[in-house]
Amino acid sequence: MMEYGYYPGCSLTGSAKRLDQGVRQLCKKLGHSLTEIPDWNCCGALEYGDRNELVSISGENLEKARGMCKEIVVPCPACYKNLKDADPDRSFNILSPLELLSTGNLSQIEQKRDLKGQVFFPYYGCLLMRPEENSIKNRNIMEDVISVFGGDVDGEKMKDRCCGGNQLFLNKWATEKLSTLILGKTKGTVVVFCPFCHMAMQTFAVGRKVIYLTDLLLYVMGENKSL
Amino acid sequence: MNKRDHEIVFKHTGYRREDFSVCLGCKICASVCTVNDLTLNVNPQELLMKLFVGEKIEEDHPLVRYCTSCYRCTAACPWQIRIPEVVRAVKESLGMESRFEKAFKRSLDIWGRVYEPFVVAMTALDLLKGGYIKYMPKWMGYAGFHLPHKVKRLKPSNASKGSNPSEEGRS
Ligand code: SF4
Ligand code: SF4
Repeated sequence: MMEYGYYPGCSLTGSAKRLDQGVRQLCKKLGHSLTEIPDWNCCGALEYGDRNELVSISGENLEKARGMCKEIVVPCPACYKNLKDADPDRSFNILSPLELLSTGNLSQIEQKRDLKGQVFFPYYGCLLMRPEENSIKNRNIMEDVISVFGGDVDGEKMKDRCCGGNQLFLNKWATEKLSTLILGKTKGTVVVFCPFCHMAMQTFAVGRKVIYLTDLLLYVMGENKSL
Repeated sequence: MNKRDHEIVFKHTGYRREDFSVCLGCKICASVCTVNDLTLNVNPQELLMKLFVGEKIEEDHPLVRYCTSCYRCTAACPWQIRIPEVVRAVKESLGMESRFEKAFKRSLDIWGRVYEPFVVAMTALDLLKGGYIKYMPKWMGYAGFHLPHKVKRLKPSNASKGSNPSEEGRS
């Protein structure tokens, strides 16, 4: 049981609403409360060439959170990286929802379904893994989640390769080539945690499902009807 | 890209010219670079060397155009040099913003957040011409109606826009 500050980020209010709802539902199940940082603003994503400008835009959110919370849950990997970059002294604990999961607390989850006989490709992409000083601490957590509930894991070598998501609206052939490369070397349902990865994989996957890890967990808990 | 553009890159990234002198030319960055998966044959180290010696960087340099900000180079580099941030600064110094990036920043200026319907509207023509319409059936799950929400900013949103790097003191 913990109380966290919550920074959804722009895409989670729009195209990645599903991830937002999933994270909120999951935290409720785990007994955590999330309080949105009042008037949070965009983190700047990867759109600024000036690092100072980017850090200032992201850092504003930390100013808005000051005095309210020390621990902030940040689902979008781009926001997660930017907020960490804006806090070099680590005066806040910026957490991906993935870091709220551990094999320990997974066993406490009330399991209504299992994943037996199903293959999954847990795909982290870039910004949860790099740069290293910003990386999530539990770099195998998606594999652990899938295995704990009986699913099979594929694609270890491709899990942190780049889908080219941020080129999707600039040079879509590049995104297509990079995503297809990853898809071609893996099998099973693609499990992601990043809105960029979700969109790139969803756009170029043929006959493969693309889901957020939250979808998978809620399915196991009996919430979502199907995967 | 002239001398002043180089200065902008250093200012934007926080790196100094001498920071790149540590680059060993080991080319580990090149061996992991995602742009090479596009068979474009790039070497990020060469870009750093150009900045170090003050050589011109062209707009159509494949790394400048296609770097995905994957940070694979950074993770592999013995000095953890944040090459994608250098690339983004180069792009900005060359004024290479796409309409998509402009719409993104404009939205941030107006509302303090990215309002996706606005970005789509501003780039509709590009989406149409670029052949994105065929993906619409796959993107249905991303659609949903919501109104923009304007947030309070602590600093004026385009504070840094008007600043001219050459007018500010440089150490
Ligand atoms: S961040 Fe850019 S330069 Fe570095 S490996 Fe990725 S694509 Fe190459
Ligand atoms: S990996 Fe680092 S040190 Fe080696 S060539 Fe690339 S930038 Fe230079």
